[in-house]
Amino acid sequence: MATTTATITIASDITDYGININKTMTMTKADTTIGLEETTGLASQSFAAVTQVVLIDVSATAVTAAAGGHKVYIRNTGTDKAEHFKITLADTTDDTEEIGRLYGGDWMLFPWLATDANEDIYVQPSTSNKMTIEYMVFHQ
Amino acid sequence: MATTTATVSINSTDLLSSPLSLSASTVCMKAGTTIGLELVEAGRGEIKEADASKTAEFGLATALGNDTACKVYMCNNATDPTYYIDVDIHDTNLGRLYAGDWMFIPWSQTDVAAEIVIEAEPAGAICPYEYAVFKEAETLEDHS
Repeated sequence: MATTTATITIASDITDYGININKTMTMTKADTTIGLEETTGLASQSFAAVTQVVLIDVSATAVTAAAGGHKVYIRNTGTDKAEHFKITLADTTDDTEEIGRLYGGDWMLFPWLATDANEDIYVQPSTSNKMTIEYMVFHQ
Repeated sequence: MATTTATVSINSTDLLSSPLSLSASTVCMKAGTTIGLELVEAGRGEIKEADASKTAEFGLATALGNDTACKVYMCNNATDPTYYIDVDIHDTNLGRLYAGDWMFIPWSQTDVAAEIVIEAEPAGAICPYEYAVFKEAETLEDHS
């Protein structure tokens, strides 16, 4: 069993008393305390067109169907805060829902159900300028 | 202007044949700008499993928030490894936050049907959770 930890730190002066969040999770398989043992590895992909494409394809990721413990890390490696990637998730009927937009330097880490072949993750750059995204899936 | 910095560090010594150490940091800005986010909603609660229905709307998308650069942090503080929080964006299931798991996502609230919905599972589950939503300041509408 592997042990993979993810720690988030959020520090903010958004209020006079400040906000500090620090949390560490150990990525485990669904319903267990056994660590996730598989990963896609860290991947990088560049784009130069304003076209929505599949970034992470359930069928190509070797996730165990109905497992439910997967985690996805995605980061816009750019530095331009005016450019973003739309991150969209499809449901079992292939209907898509935008999660949010990763501006330059922004990252996200979230659980991924991926129990159906349609539940792919899509990205769409905001500009035809070269933009690069990196991502990694931790899965069962 | 507020400065909100979110940092992640992912580490493993045995997932791969070589140690994994990955980190990233970002300053959370308003959409398309270098001006920091200015509002925060934060707190904690407890959600219980309820049969056959989504039981809580954790965040309400608003017309004022459409297409903004919100960031959402959420953690399931349950300790039973079988207890999880199902997280949906409107009617699309994002995934399951198992006990101890956290997530950090952008949330663009593309329309008022982009709410975040959470539900504790399985039967009998009780999940304490904590959250923070960092938002852009909203221009309030005239009272009518």
